[in-house]
Amino acid sequence: MEINSALEKPDRWDVPFSKEMTDMEVELVLSVPPFNQLKPRNYSSAIPLHGIIKNDTRIIQCQEGDIIVREGDWGNTAYFVLDGSVRVEIEKVGFKLPAELLGRRETKKKSFWEVVSQWWRNHEETEYRDQAAYRARNSQLGMRGSGQETRIYLQDVPATLNQYKTVRLESGTFFGELAALGRIPRAATVFADSPTELLEIRWQGLRDLMRKDDSLQKHIDRLFRERALAAFLHNNAIFQHLDDQEMEELVQLAQFETFGKYDWAGSFKSLVTKGNTSDLTSEPLIAQEEEYPNGVYFMRSGLARLSQRHYNGHRTVGYLTPGQVYGLDEILQSWRGTSQVPLQMSLRAIGYVCMVFIPTPVLERFLLAKVHGQLPIATAQPGQVSYRGISGKDAGKRIQTDFLEFLVEKRFVNGTATMMIDMDRCTRCDDCVRACASTHDNNPRFLRQGPTHDDVMVANACMHCEDPVCMIECPTGAIHRNPVTGSVVINDLTCIGCRTCSNNCPFDAIRMTTVRDEHGQLLRDMLNQPIEKATKCDLCVDQWGGPACQRACPHDALVRIDMRDLVSLANWHNR
Amino acid sequence: MRSLSTRRTRSLLIVFVLSGLLVLADLLSRSSLHFTELASGWLLLALCLLLTLFNLRKKLAFLPLGSAALWLQIHIYAGLFTVVVFLFHIGWRIPNGVFEGILGFLFVGVSASGVMGLFMSRTFSHRLTLRGEPVLYETIPVRQKLIQEEVEKLVLNCLAETSSTAIPEFYARKLKGFLETRRNLWLHLVQSTRPIHALKLEIRAQTRYLNEAEREYMRKIAERVQLKDTLDYQFALQSALKYWLFVHIPLTYALLTFAAVHVVLVYAFLGGMR
Repeated sequence: MEINSALEKPDRWDVPFSKEMTDMEVELVLSVPPFNQLKPRNYSSAIPLHGIIKNDTRIIQCQEGDIIVREGDWGNTAYFVLDGSVRVEIEKVGFKLPAELLGRRETKKKSFWEVVSQWWRNHEETEYRDQAAYRARNSQLGMRGSGQETRIYLQDVPATLNQYKTVRLESGTFFGELAALGRIPRAATVFADSPTELLEIRWQGLRDLMRKDDSLQKHIDRLFRERALAAFLHNNAIFQHLDDQEMEELVQLAQFETFGKYDWAGSFKSLVTKGNTSDLTSEPLIAQEEEYPNGVYFMRSGLARLSQRHYNGHRTVGYLTPGQVYGLDEILQSWRGTSQVPLQMSLRAIGYVCMVFIPTPVLERFLLAKVHGQLPIATAQPGQVSYRGISGKDAGKRIQTDFLEFLVEKRFVNGTATMMIDMDRCTRCDDCVRACASTHDNNPRFLRQGPTHDDVMVANACMHCEDPVCMIECPTGAIHRNPVTGSVVINDLTCIGCRTCSNNCPFDAIRMTTVRDEHGQLLRDMLNQPIEKATKCDLCVDQWGGPACQRACPHDALVRIDMRDLVSLANWHNR
Repeated sequence: MRSLSTRRTRSLLIVFVLSGLLVLADLLSRSSLHFTELASGWLLLALCLLLTLFNLRKKLAFLPLGSAALWLQIHIYAGLFTVVVFLFHIGWRIPNGVFEGILGFLFVGVSASGVMGLFMSRTFSHRLTLRGEPVLYETIPVRQKLIQEEVEKLVLNCLAETSSTAIPEFYARKLKGFLETRRNLWLHLVQSTRPIHALKLEIRAQTRYLNEAEREYMRKIAERVQLKDTLDYQFALQSALKYWLFVHIPLTYALLTFAAVHVVLVYAFLGGMR
């Protein structure tokens, strides 16, 4: 029987980065150095050079003052200056481009009077917005374009150049590649200082270009070692004893490795739809239990699952977050003992993981030969479960395995302020919801509902993720990480309602709402369409005393937990 | 993080010590022929006002007034101490006279409703977790309606498929009323499963007279009946958790009003007993 319902397998470039990239523009890009030095024959027929440029890049035109990336933004694209020039803001103590100039929310606590007056000033209408504030924004903040092409621009570039320290990047320069490949926040703000033509490259395209081209690979690798790796290793307490020359050598010998899917949020959503989140085969194996360690992994970004073989499956015994180390204990034990100690746990990438790998011979030379006696081993006996970096090495053991499995499978370990409710103590009084509403102009920013394991519910509230995929691709930088508190917040004034963040969030913690005036009427744009805004928990960043939900719970049922702190989680769960 | 049992022990110890101090102060005062009623009365009134502040704290969630959990702990243990002070104040005897009787009754009412509320808060939450999935109180009527519609659809499909009226008649006789309204709420509060057990027995008895196709329909209907019973259970317990405050708080304000009048009367008729 003929099967009529067969579907064509989707191709990588079914949805190109830009449909407007013409063959002529591709040829133009390929005529510019360093692209003109790339050899098409080095690329496979499945992923040809022409195809990468056509489908993974786009040309964007910027006007003077257009902000291209902001410090702290998360992005998955890199840029190449085709024509014109851009300015990179260099950090100078006390002189940084102010948040409001970049389209971000001012990080200011409410005054005592503003806090008190919420009692009577909160509006009866849901999602009320002050139209005057929007108009004031339009006059104060430059914003041009529409939809995903919207850009915020600096209105007085000469004054900005006078006031803040910047360096110029001329045509032929890459920028933003480390943040795109390493999935880390942008390190600096970049804006156009003249009409500029940029080539924006999706990270997948950049990766493929690098793979087949040594010079580009070397260029990015050099940048990474100079800018990121050196700082990363310098900040690591284990290598504090090294002098400058040794550190420089170590930087050259360390390796940068990535595992897992960059677009993990999308694949996670599809796993959730299929009810298949517990399938470990979808998580790339980084290191296998019982094999001998050939080096140490330092977590740079992302999350990784630690598991042990258990009958015919794998039991989750913990997880690693940035800053933590894998494999060091086994190497230390082997170094001190007479026999080789194999890896005690397997390590798998949850989502997208960036790691710095230091091979054992390098570690022996720079660490073990010098200070091994001073390094404590987290594992007392070979075979015991432990992992370095999580303070309180038995914390993992104090949390029931099935609870840990639940947290890892559902990716709740990504949260730095995960809302957990002890359902054995929660009286369903909704004081938390009311408190949230009272601090957000009568609009609650979370739902007291969510996945439950035994007596713990993880409520549908923004977790302020360690790896905030919601922040990727926000065209105006409206959703950003508060530099002081680290919470992920949205600037309502610069949110254009494009839904990018809410679509990206794998936990459905961002809700789009239509906004209203003081009479409850919908606010509309020039095309008479209702104006939408992204809304979510902001951890009461402008209130006094921390998240109102937690403070309002009379029964000690609700808590906001940083999942990197396994000790606090264990203490709360076992109180 | 301090464990909850440690916190409980510490708080009870504080109440015990304070009560001991109160006994000591009372003995010393009485041995020196001082009247203690005025002092204990003012202490009682102050404690009552302190206890009332908890409700205000809950209303002012946006103010940084400390966590509501800490306030509740103070409320619970200060409430316990207030009962001790009250007993000293009334001299361990039942109040006489209409006014004092009402005042005493109000105090007992507030205290008893408070203890009841605490008991429910600590036990019902756990019971709710054990039975059925977490369900928002406001969504219960919608869920109930959905279950009823599902059952009605099953009944109609059964009739269309089997042309037998056994299940439709049983539905009209036994299930319709059960699915349309909330049932057995008081019995749910005391964990009684007798009504649902009886209904299940009736379903089982009816199943004997059904053919294979009807039995399958009845099995599906029975699943939904169980779901409806769980919803009633959730509704009963969540309602109790919400509405006990509608007893506790009005009684509190009545108590404060009577206490204010009591103070005026005491000073009006105090005479030379100062």
